[in-house]
Amino acid sequence: MGEPRLTRAALLRGGAVVAAGATAGVALAPAGRAAEPSPARDRAILRFALFLEDLQAAFYADALARATLSGELLEYAQVVGGHERSHAAHVRRVLGSAAPSPPRFDFRDAASDPTRFLETAITLEDLGVSAYNGAAASLTADALADAARIVSVEARHAAWVRDLAGKSPAPDASDPSVSAVEAKAVIDRLDFVV
Amino acid sequence: MDDLRLEHLDRDGALAEAIAALHGHTRTDLLRGAVAGSAALLAVCAAPARAAARDRDVAILNFALTLEELQAAFYTEVERNKVLRGDLREQATVVGGHERAHVRAFREVLGSRAAKRPRFDFGGATEGSGAFRRTAVAFEDLAVAAYKGQAPRIRSREYLASALAIHSVEARHAAWIRRLAGKSPVTGPFDDALTRRETSRIVARTQFISTTSTTRRSPRFTG
Repeated sequence: MGEPRLTRAALLRGGAVVAAGATAGVALAPAGRAAEPSPARDRAILRFALFLEDLQAAFYADALARATLSGELLEYAQVVGGHERSHAAHVRRVLGSAAPSPPRFDFRDAASDPTRFLETAITLEDLGVSAYNGAAASLTADALADAARIVSVEARHAAWVRDLAGKSPAPDASDPSVSAVEAKAVIDRLDFVV
Repeated sequence: MDDLRLEHLDRDGALAEAIAALHGHTRTDLLRGAVAGSAALLAVCAAPARAAARDRDVAILNFALTLEELQAAFYTEVERNKVLRGDLREQATVVGGHERAHVRAFREVLGSRAAKRPRFDFGGATEGSGAFRRTAVAFEDLAVAAYKGQAPRIRSREYLASALAIHSVEARHAAWIRRLAGKSPVTGPFDDALTRRETSRIVARTQFISTTSTTRRSPRFTG
């Protein structure tokens, strides 16, 4: 087995080593150059983070309501669903009156059986990590410190669910990052937002 | 910040158990105990308070480099000892490869400003699967907390993006080894950060970084 490659060029452009297939076959392009941090930009980024957390929380709630999960997969959905609700509540509190209300979602068959649940959970968790990583370098220091407490938990979720699906929990030496636009495109393709 | 206790990080007691097993202390001794300094790591961490932003970034990258060297050496040694089987061996092989890639990347970026590689002595931590598991859990959770503490202090946006891309991989490693150790991959909805000083003290307590540094001078005799 060859050593994972993490070149100086990759490190300098933000560790943007694209993990092929990391999000269900969607190739994630490297995030663009980080924008200058400001409180207004913090709020914009946090609103998108809140959207992702609401989406994840609703997905796990849907999966648990369908009662098709058992064993460690059920435990995963319960624990991680609780985390996503905590994240959403936290970001909503930070945003205050600037926080949008949760969108309505329709997950159709995405959580209807354990196999589909696993696929979608992996996509959403890996996407969460990539989106936080892509946005974090544009946050002010305080907002970054706060977001960093969440992103590593998303990465733990991703590793856990990948392991449950028989995939490598850590497919690369450096996680890819995506811009909000790229993350939004992935979510649009999933078509979960009503 | 002299009141840092090991349990602040070591929620499962994994590190305390690992060290206790290696050095013959009880866990309570360690949680109470005084810190034995590790000259090599502390030297790396002793950045001047008024250092310019660029110098501070270099100091942070060197701190990260030393943590990565520590982890890389640990996984490389356990692989050489051939004491792991199955999923645990797979984890050590993959994660060891990642840590070595992190070391190479930091060394390349730092160039001549890269800190000297310390000498390591892992005692029995790489000689059995139980000790390996406990120590790996502690190392990975520590790395996550350490990167999280440093990220908001990095001035260069490029270095920051890179540190974040590694930070989340360390969290994946942590979840992976925790599950293999029979622990929950997660410890709660939010992961806490550790400062550089807190991290250094925890590493120092392991005594994994050899204090017989090659830079130590012979005593001067005046008689």
